[in-house]
Amino acid sequence: MKLIASSRNLLFVSIAAGGLLASCSAPAPQPGAPAKPRVALVLKTLNSPFFIEMQTGAKAAADRLGLDLVVQAAEREVDVEKQMQIVENLIQTGIKALMITPSGSREVIPVLAKATAAGIPIIVVDTRIDAAAATAASVKALTFIGSDNFEGGRAAGAELVLQTNGKAQVAILEGIPGHDTGDSRLKGFQEAVKDSPGIKILASQTANWERDQGFTVFQNMLQAHPAIDAVFACNDMMALGAIEAIAAAGKTGKIRVIGFDAVDDARKAIEAGTMAASVAQFPGEMGRMAVESAARVLKGETIEAEQRVRIELIKKIGGPR
Amino acid sequence: MKKALQLLTRSRRAGTLVGLFLLGALLSTLSPFFLTPSNLLNVMEQTAINAVIAVGMTFVILSAGIDLSVGSIAALSGVVMAERLHAGWPLGAAILCGLLTGAGCGLMSGLLVTRGRLPPFIATLGMMSVARGAALLFTDGRPISGFDESLRWLSTGRIVGIPVPVLLTIVLYALAIVLLNRTRFGRYVYAIGGNEEATRLSGVAVGFHKTLVYVLSGVTAALGAVLLTARLNSAQPIAGMMYELDAIAAVVIGGTSLQGGLGTLGGTLIGALTMGVLRNGLNLLGISSFLQQIVIGLVIIAAVLMDSLVKSRRR
Repeated sequence: MKLIASSRNLLFVSIAAGGLLASCSAPAPQPGAPAKPRVALVLKTLNSPFFIEMQTGAKAAADRLGLDLVVQAAEREVDVEKQMQIVENLIQTGIKALMITPSGSREVIPVLAKATAAGIPIIVVDTRIDAAAATAASVKALTFIGSDNFEGGRAAGAELVLQTNGKAQVAILEGIPGHDTGDSRLKGFQEAVKDSPGIKILASQTANWERDQGFTVFQNMLQAHPAIDAVFACNDMMALGAIEAIAAAGKTGKIRVIGFDAVDDARKAIEAGTMAASVAQFPGEMGRMAVESAARVLKGETIEAEQRVRIELIKKIGGPR
Repeated sequence: MKKALQLLTRSRRAGTLVGLFLLGALLSTLSPFFLTPSNLLNVMEQTAINAVIAVGMTFVILSAGIDLSVGSIAALSGVVMAERLHAGWPLGAAILCGLLTGAGCGLMSGLLVTRGRLPPFIATLGMMSVARGAALLFTDGRPISGFDESLRWLSTGRIVGIPVPVLLTIVLYALAIVLLNRTRFGRYVYAIGGNEEATRLSGVAVGFHKTLVYVLSGVTAALGAVLLTARLNSAQPIAGMMYELDAIAAVVIGGTSLQGGLGTLGGTLIGALTMGVLRNGLNLLGISSFLQQIVIGLVIIAAVLMDSLVKSRRR
């Protein structure tokens, strides 16, 4: 009997330790002060610089505007069911507004329907929700805040045409199929190069947004099509993976790489000349605008249904022509 | 000896249950939102999918095996069912098709383990990749979404106020407990996990029953996929990634030994609930997502540590 008692004690201790950990980081209640309205920002993940920057922008705005901001994210970007759980749990805490970067344009609709039923205003950031599915479930997002990914893809395509004088053998690294963000970038790129007969797309495959997959997928493409002399990757992570594969094949400088997002590593690669260009988004601004919109909604103001965040093509000044 | 073992497993489960209640008590003092009827139903609903998949995993682990393929099988059977629904099949037939897909995958793993003599880890690791690839190939990587109310009801429906997925989970556990504790098959699963060679020598068709365990695991993975697809109103070929680890964690927290032969389904249910309550509570408290992963990891470690401590003292 004694050993069983001690094993229980161990569990008690571990749970108490967990609880201690919890109470340390839980926001301390502020007696006396009027409670700040609690709003939530639910991200796809916090494993990428893009979303961390968005979080930073949102937190700064929340501090300025006097909102109690909760930021939560699933462990994995593709795990829309975990994102759903997070939103369900936040609904229980009586949040006054929900800002969300959907992990799946359609899959997020059922939980947004729950938020709608609970009377919580919804602000969609970065990735659009599927309009038809939203209508079918009577989900209405008050506003969409994000970059125009189609325009970004087009800018990348136009830059490629410019840099190569309209002659290139291109490989494309796509995002996860069925994600609006990647699909739009791809379509924009295709649109920009379709009138240049010298631009040939030799291969187009997904590397699931990831750096290591960008490496292996591009390595394989290069095996199949040694003539490839340009790459468009729908995000920088995959582009950076491709750059490594190019270096491994000893072809640095012979293959032009254009990425998307202009993350820090990509900017360094552009400065070093291993990357030709990247399309910059401004996730910090997305976070700021999302919180500002939430604050306006709480005051009962109406907000625009669509708020565009600027994009910018980043390349080396006096870079390759 | 047998009595002592029974007492031990029973008390181990009681310990886990006490742990769950303690966790609940702690969370309800930390957050005013935790101990509300709507939140408790919410937690149970969120736990349903993992709990369902963990049923098959419990049988597998009791037989001293492991099944790494359940997440991928869930994805594959989910998209197969979804495709059939879009092709106009009635709900029951489409679900059956999904379950058969899961059973088929499980059968292959089981045969690889029993006939091919592969370690379960390797056989199901292979199946994990094959089923995932098949799901992606089958759908061209795209989700299949938008179903009519009959499927959605499996997620959104309420019977006397209780969410349908919760009721389905309870029914499944009731059936599985009967299967494990009241049938010859169940006794053989324990026996195989306890001492496979002795079980074989006493004339039990070990290969057959072991294969059946993997088929069962494939079926419960597919059942999990039905709930998941209903919940998201979409079947994604990339769904269910790492669900195998959640299921294994639920089984292990529930006190089932990874060496096999020792454990209960009730423990698994409590294990799954513990994980659900933990995730829910950490969300309610607004705790950083990074810290949440640490806490969940610590609870899994603590649970297994308890097992090994019990074992070393017993020696």
